[in-house]
Amino acid sequence: MILLQLAADGLLLGAVYALFSSGLTLIWGMMNVINFAHGDFVMLAMYVAFFAFTLLKIGPIFFVPLAAMALFGLGVLVYVALVRHVMRGPMLAQILSTFGLALFLRYAALWAFSANFVSLPDNLVGGVYQLGGIRLSASHLLAGGTALVLTLGMHLVLTRTDLGSRMLAVSEDRVAASLVGIRAERMQALAWGLGAAATGVAGGLIVLFFYVSPEVGNAFTLLAFVTVCLGGFGSVPGALIAGLLIGVIESFSAYWLGPATKDVVVFALFVVLLWVRPQGLLGRA
Amino acid sequence: MSITRRGILAVPALAALPAMAEAAAPVRIGCIEPLTGNAGSAGQSIKQGITLVLDIINTPHPDLAPLPLAATSGLPRLGGAKVEVIWADNQGSPAVGQSDALRLITQDHVVALCGAYQSSITLTASAVAERYGIPFVAGESVAANLTQRGYKWFFRTTPYGPDFGKLYLDFLAYVAATGLAVGKIAIVHENTDYGTSVAGSITEAAKARGRTIAQTISYNANGTDVSPQVLALKNGKPDVVIFVSYTSDSILYMKTFHTLGYRPPIVIGDDSGFSDPAFPKAVGNLAQGALNRSAFVPGKPDSITYKINALFKQETGRDLDDTTARAMQGFFVLCDAINRAGATAPDAIRAALAATDLPASRLMTGYKGVKFDSSGQNTLAYSLVIQLQGAAYVPVWPLAEATAKLALPFKGWT
Amino acid sequence: MRASLRRVLIAIAILLAIAPVLTQDAFYQRIAALVVLAAISASAWNVIGGYAGQVSFGHSVYFGIGGYAALLAFTKLGLPPIAGAPLGILASFVLSAIVGLPSFRLRGHYFSMATIAIAALAGLLVTNWGYAGGAIGLMGPATPRSPADLLFRSPLPYYAIFLVVLAILLVLTWWMERSRMGFYLRAIGSGERAAASLGVPIRRYKLYALFISGAFTALAGSLYAVMIGFIDPDSGFGILVSVNMVVMAALGGAGTLFGPLVGAIILVPLEETTNALLGGGGTGAAYVAYGVIIMLIARFSPGGLAQFLPRIAARKSPRAA
Repeated sequence: MILLQLAADGLLLGAVYALFSSGLTLIWGMMNVINFAHGDFVMLAMYVAFFAFTLLKIGPIFFVPLAAMALFGLGVLVYVALVRHVMRGPMLAQILSTFGLALFLRYAALWAFSANFVSLPDNLVGGVYQLGGIRLSASHLLAGGTALVLTLGMHLVLTRTDLGSRMLAVSEDRVAASLVGIRAERMQALAWGLGAAATGVAGGLIVLFFYVSPEVGNAFTLLAFVTVCLGGFGSVPGALIAGLLIGVIESFSAYWLGPATKDVVVFALFVVLLWVRPQGLLGRA
Repeated sequence: MSITRRGILAVPALAALPAMAEAAAPVRIGCIEPLTGNAGSAGQSIKQGITLVLDIINTPHPDLAPLPLAATSGLPRLGGAKVEVIWADNQGSPAVGQSDALRLITQDHVVALCGAYQSSITLTASAVAERYGIPFVAGESVAANLTQRGYKWFFRTTPYGPDFGKLYLDFLAYVAATGLAVGKIAIVHENTDYGTSVAGSITEAAKARGRTIAQTISYNANGTDVSPQVLALKNGKPDVVIFVSYTSDSILYMKTFHTLGYRPPIVIGDDSGFSDPAFPKAVGNLAQGALNRSAFVPGKPDSITYKINALFKQETGRDLDDTTARAMQGFFVLCDAINRAGATAPDAIRAALAATDLPASRLMTGYKGVKFDSSGQNTLAYSLVIQLQGAAYVPVWPLAEATAKLALPFKGWT
Repeated sequence: MRASLRRVLIAIAILLAIAPVLTQDAFYQRIAALVVLAAISASAWNVIGGYAGQVSFGHSVYFGIGGYAALLAFTKLGLPPIAGAPLGILASFVLSAIVGLPSFRLRGHYFSMATIAIAALAGLLVTNWGYAGGAIGLMGPATPRSPADLLFRSPLPYYAIFLVVLAILLVLTWWMERSRMGFYLRAIGSGERAAASLGVPIRRYKLYALFISGAFTALAGSLYAVMIGFIDPDSGFGILVSVNMVVMAALGGAGTLFGPLVGAIILVPLEETTNALLGGGGTGAAYVAYGVIIMLIARFSPGGLAQFLPRIAARKSPRAA
């Protein structure tokens, strides 16, 4: 029974990792830019949701889209004002720019919202489900389910729609795409916006069961990078599989080997896998 | 530099108007706290608390009279000099804390230092104070090694690891006498210096009484999920679970208890996370009956502690927590010593600190007094056991100080 | 060109040598010492990250090894902490050989991610390693037992020691720049496929670069532990330790001789003074300002500040990075 519960918890946790990483995958894959401010995007989305609930008294049905819209705006703004100018520069300038952005966002949040931990009422998305002895919380289920839907949706948009193929074309070869009349700038701004919006959805759902503080992004960031890299850069389904895998590995290794060593297992497996298969699980060689 | 020089130039003027000029020179104390970073919320709260102490010392508060320096204005034996605090943010880094200490000593010319919340930073910052011969008063840091360094300028008012271990085991012995099982103890601790050192102290205290800890779980406080730990507890079926946790993880544990439907008979949270005002706010309805330790309880409406809590609440909108109260207590002790020294020379302050002998009646915390041994540790430091009942913690043990009845087993949620 | 470069070099050297003597203020002297210490690790990072273009985000692993070697030598063997530095350097060679070779197959972001993960792994292992103090960390000597403990009240002696190490590293880098190795590394940095077609022994030279880079970073870690008197998993292996090296090098100009030093001269005082002026307010304003400045530099001077110092950048590296 405990094994089943562990597996279920691991899968749900993994779905949250996948959800958390989905926006990062898109931005990273489309533009080959590492967004070091990714965790802080999620933090902002969580605050948007939190204040929408406490000040405007609106529930998750409204505040999740609100967070997505707010983050879409932020993503486009960051692209236009910052990323656009550093994208074709050296990789180090890109790293510097999003690192500076991360510091700025995190400490602006500290300034505005103080360092205190806040959280939404526990019963906002109600209760605990029992499935033959396995207990699952509704908010985790909601987040996990959304992760699946969001990942699938993003995958379909990228592979099945005209917009998606234009975005992919820009990411493959910017110059060639411009030659056939695709407006590369606009596509990339859109990719940032969509990536950030997905992050917004993630933040809006994670806040249902997690605390918020200006530093909360730290808890997820490193694992998000590992998730994206393990899945293969830019591979949306890859990130989902990687997220689920990491969740389950963490869950079992925490139980058997002790929670302090669960990250050791994840990182060690990650390094070894990179050495053996550098392009990630589903990445293109 | 410049301030000292100005002081020397001002000597002729001083001779003319001694009392006034002296009253005008404030006494500067440096406080190093984590105002940003992971522990930012604790550091900010400490800053608010010490700012309140400053007000109590610098302006007359006759209603708080038993507290040192409350009734008068400023430091009477220094001609009513006001106390001033220079704040420094340690950013959660031992190296930054050390820079802070050096800057406060050499540039701001503080006469003493206090801080620095994280034991690791208190360690490095007080090393600078030691080299410069400036007194350092630690009101919050609990790692045992701080007072094992043979330092001359280091004083600690707060109880530390071994005191907590003793408190919990005394308390559990009492609970056992009431007929509840306490044989199997599990310790769940976060794996940085705070959790590791306090867990170690509890384990040692248990060993000293011939008891063993049935289960020890060490985890990373920044983790995103604690279900495996809770499942491991559920499987081990301990009678008592002692958490040594920070805020975010304490909240996650209580939520996960609820999700997984697990109620250990006795839950003890060692201060820190369980004492963060965010804890009862976030999961109060899931953690009914959780026990905690505290050196501060508001007490009865006309007590000093109640009045201080009211002042704090007026400023910040929340109740005073244990960590902030211990930091405030340390600051009171330091200011009292500076006043008794009647001078701001470091030697005089150190001598006055070493001679400190405050009775419990003159403290805002529940210590049995403040009196330092040769290592600089307060030998009369003490805590109470409190329990979350409704929206707030109430003292339940020792019985002499209890205002509510101990309610066991742990109820959690309804 | 060569002559004017030398003049700049000499000017900077003189400036650095006299800077702390100009001020009697211990706090400024400490900042000067921290600048040089940061410049050592950033310059060490520069050898592999700048010249060879292998952007490592895990150099804290070397820094931590150096720091722990110093304080383990003190706590376990009773030696002066600095005696642990050679052990740290030795360990850095072993680690470079074990970890470097398989990681060199990875390109671009994958290499960066692998290095992040390796450093995180090292930090976690040390956290769970009770012998080395675990999460609590290790303490240096509380009071000096002999002059060899290098415990000084004044920051000046530290400054002098750090400056000597930095000078050795810069001279070594300068010499490397002009040797075949420098040519090979720059070729690798500007494109491995092209470098391979030119017959550059890529993995061998990457490994050489990592040996030099790791050894000096480990030495910087030992010096840090000696000065601060404390190391724990976070201050040794934390990701911020790595990021600081990268940011400093990138800010000044990665792949240039003086870039990392310029970055350190700007960033360390900026951090220290913003914290001194704004930190007490507890609003995080220091970091907000810091973040904005970094973004502005990345936005308007993506090749690092070396772009603004044309004489230094006269032989701008081929990658302009």
